[in-house]
Amino acid sequence: MNRIIILTPLIILFIICIFSLTYLLSGKDPNKPPSALLYKDVPNFESSSLYNEKEIIKTRDIKNTKTLINFFASWCSPCKIEHPLFFEIGKKYPELYLLGFNHKDPTSDAKKYLEEDGNPYDFVGVDSDGLIALEFGVFGLPETYLINEDGKIIYKLMGPITTDILKNEIEPLL
Amino acid sequence: MSSLVGFSSLVLAIGINFYLFLSRYIFKFQKQKFNLFIRFSSLLTLLSFFSLMYAYVVSDFSIYNVFQNSHSNKPLIYKISGTWGNHEGSMLLWLSILSIFSFFFSFTKNIDESFQRLTLIIQSLLHILFGLFIVFTSNPFLVNSILVNEGLGLNPILQDPGLAVHPPILYVGYVGYSIVFSIAIAGLFQNTDDEWLYVAKKWSLISWTFLTGGIALGSYWAYYELGWGGWWFWDPVENISLMPWIAGLALVHSLMMVRGEQAIKKWIVFLSILCFSLSVFGTFLVRSGILTSVHSFTADASRGIFILLIFFIVTGFGFLVFLLKEPKKSNTLNLLFINKVSAIVINNILMIIATLTILLGTIYPIIIEVLYNKRISVGGPYFNSTVIPIMIPGFLLMSIAPILSWQTNKIQNSKKYAIGFIMLSILVLIQSYFSDFNTWGFVGLLLGFWIILASIIAIFSSYKVKFNIKFFQIINPHIAHIGVGIAIVGITCSSVFQNELDFNLNEGDKFNVNGKTVLFQEIENTNKINYQALRGKFIFDIEKNQSKKIEAGKNYYPVSKMITSEAGILHQWNKDIYFILGDQKNNEWFVKVLINPFVSFIWLGVAIMIYSGFIAVTRR
Repeated sequence: MNRIIILTPLIILFIICIFSLTYLLSGKDPNKPPSALLYKDVPNFESSSLYNEKEIIKTRDIKNTKTLINFFASWCSPCKIEHPLFFEIGKKYPELYLLGFNHKDPTSDAKKYLEEDGNPYDFVGVDSDGLIALEFGVFGLPETYLINEDGKIIYKLMGPITTDILKNEIEPLL
Repeated sequence: MSSLVGFSSLVLAIGINFYLFLSRYIFKFQKQKFNLFIRFSSLLTLLSFFSLMYAYVVSDFSIYNVFQNSHSNKPLIYKISGTWGNHEGSMLLWLSILSIFSFFFSFTKNIDESFQRLTLIIQSLLHILFGLFIVFTSNPFLVNSILVNEGLGLNPILQDPGLAVHPPILYVGYVGYSIVFSIAIAGLFQNTDDEWLYVAKKWSLISWTFLTGGIALGSYWAYYELGWGGWWFWDPVENISLMPWIAGLALVHSLMMVRGEQAIKKWIVFLSILCFSLSVFGTFLVRSGILTSVHSFTADASRGIFILLIFFIVTGFGFLVFLLKEPKKSNTLNLLFINKVSAIVINNILMIIATLTILLGTIYPIIIEVLYNKRISVGGPYFNSTVIPIMIPGFLLMSIAPILSWQTNKIQNSKKYAIGFIMLSILVLIQSYFSDFNTWGFVGLLLGFWIILASIIAIFSSYKVKFNIKFFQIINPHIAHIGVGIAIVGITCSSVFQNELDFNLNEGDKFNVNGKTVLFQEIENTNKINYQALRGKFIFDIEKNQSKKIEAGKNYYPVSKMITSEAGILHQWNKDIYFILGDQKNNEWFVKVLINPFVSFIWLGVAIMIYSGFIAVTRR
C-alpha cells in the first residue's frame, strides 16, 4: 500500500508526459482550434454567383460529388500564395468540384483579382457579409474544406495549401 | 561582438558544470577549488546574460533576437526589460538565476562539506540540462544574416514598469525551488542528519517570498493594464504560478513544524521535489505554447519536446530517488485530535488537494484535445467552485493554528477566542443584513476578519509586547496570517461586492458615480515617442474643491500595430473607481465604470505576507 502511494507521483508524471507528448507530436497549434464540424454534415448555405446574381448554389447542389470549398478574398495575401495550386488540383482531379467563396470583398475587387490571377473555381459564390463563413466556423482566411459524396466534411485546413499539404494530407482523401 | 562574448561564455559555463558533474566520479577536487569553479561558472552565465542585455541597450540589431524584439525608439528601461521579454532571453534569465542560487549556496557555512558538494552537483546537472536547451533550441545570440538598422519592437503590452520587473522576480521564485530540490535529493542520498532541513527552510522561504511578489506584481499589472477590472482570471499561466506557490506554502509550513519526525521528513522531501517539478512543468507549458492565454507566447514543438524531456528527467529522477532512498527512521508523529501538528498536517493535505485540482483544470484541455480532438477551455467557474471550497476549511484551521499547542489538545485562552468569534459573527451578520446578503460575501468577510482578530488576540495574550527585532521575529507567523486575513477581506469585497456602471457619453456630459458627479471633460489625442495615446479626461466629484482628475484611454503602437487599453483608476483607501474608455459609436463614447471595494487590501495583505517571508528568513 505504502509503495503504491509513493509510486503515484511517478504514475501521474508518466500520464502527463504521455498526453503532452502526444499533443506536441500531433502538430496541433493552440492558435488553430480543431473544427467542430469535422465528420459532420456540411452546413446549409445559399449563395449567388459572383458573375451572375441569378445563378444560385445551395447545399444540395453539391451532394453526390466530392467538393473542395475554399474561402478567399482579394485582400488576403496568403490566398494569393495558394491560388496557383487550385489550377493544379483542377487539372489533376477534373471530377472534383471546386467551389470558391469570396469572403467580405467588394465585387469589383474580387473580379479583378480573379482576372489577374485566373479563376480556378467551378463556381465562385459571394459571401459578402461573411454569414456563410460563420456557418462553417471560418477562423481566418484562407480556409479550405473537403466534402465527400455524402455531404460530410472530411478535411479542414486553416491557412494556405502548400504542395506538401496537398500531397500528404489532401490527395490521399481524393 | 556581444553575441560572441555571450555565446562563448554560456558554452564555457555549461562546460565547467559538465566537468564538475564528472568530478564526482572521475576527478577529485578540494572543497575550495570546487566552490571556485561553481562561482566561476555562475559568473560566466551572468556575463552571457549581461552581454545580451548590453546588445539590447545599444540596440545591436545584428543579433536576430534584438532585431525581433527591440526598437531604437524604446525608452531605456524597456530596452533592458526587452532582454527577458522574449522566449530566448527569458530562458537565459532562468539559467542566470539558477547560477546565482548556486553561487550563494556555495557560501553557506556550517553544513556538511560533502552534502554541500552533492547539492551543487545536482545544481550543475540542472544547469547543463537548461543550458543545452538554450544552446540547441533557443539561442539568443544568433546573428542576423542580413544587415538591418531598425528592430521590430517589443510587445507593447509589456511596456509597463510593473511588468518589466515581474518576470525576474517570478523567476527567482520558480528557480529558487531548484536549490530546495537539490538539497532534498542530496539529503536523501547522504541520509546523515537533519541539518539539511534547516538549510532547506531558508531557501524555500526565499523562493516562496519572491514567488509571492512575482505573482502579486503580475496580477497588479493585469488589474490596471488589461483593463478588465479584475486582478485574477484563472488564466493557465496564472494557474501555473499558483501551483508551486501553494505547494511551496505547504513546504514552508512543514519545515516549520519538523521536529525530526520521519513521516514529515518524507513529506518535506516530497514537497521539495513537487515544488520544483511544478516550476519546470510551468516552464514547459508556457514555453511550448501548448496553452493559450493572455500571455502570448510563440509555439514551437521542438522546444516543447526538449523541455518536456527535461521535466521528465528532473521529476522522474527526483521521485525515483524518493522511491528508492527513504529518509532514515526516527521519531514518530505526535498527532492529537487538535494540536499544532495535526492542524498543519490537515492544512498540508488541503493545499495538495487544491494544487492537484488546479493541475487537473489546467491540463484537462490538453487531455480532451488529445482524446476527442475538441477544444475546450477551463475557466473561472471550475476553479471558483472547486478550489475555494477546498481552501475554506484550511483558512478556518489557519486562524487558530498558531495558538494550538505542540504537545496537548488544550487551547490556551479559549474563552477569549470564543467571545471574539461570537461578537465578530454578529457584527458581520449585521453588516450583511444591511447590505445585499451574499453567502460567499458573508463567509469571506467572517473568515478574513476572524483570522485577523484571532492573530491579534494571540499576539497580545501570549507575548509581552516589546519593540525589538526579536519580538517581531516571534510574532511573525501571526503577522503573516494577519496579511492573509486582510487579503481575504480584500478578495471577498472586490469580487463579491463589485459594482459595474455603463454609460454612453458625449464630451462635456456629467454623470453620477456612487453619489458623486463626474464630468467627462474631453477626448485628447497625443503622439508619444513610440505610441499614440487616446485619452478620455474625467473629473471626479466636480462639485467639490478637491475634485480628482482621471484619464482612461488606449494606446496605439504603430511599430507592432497593437492597441492596448489604459484604465484610469482612482485609488481610495476603501475602494478603487476604475474607468474604462470603450469605442465611439454615433458620436457617443462608451464608458464603463467599475467600483471595486477594498482592492487595496489585497495588495496590503500580500505586502504583509512578503514582509513576513523576509522576516522568517532571518530567523533560525
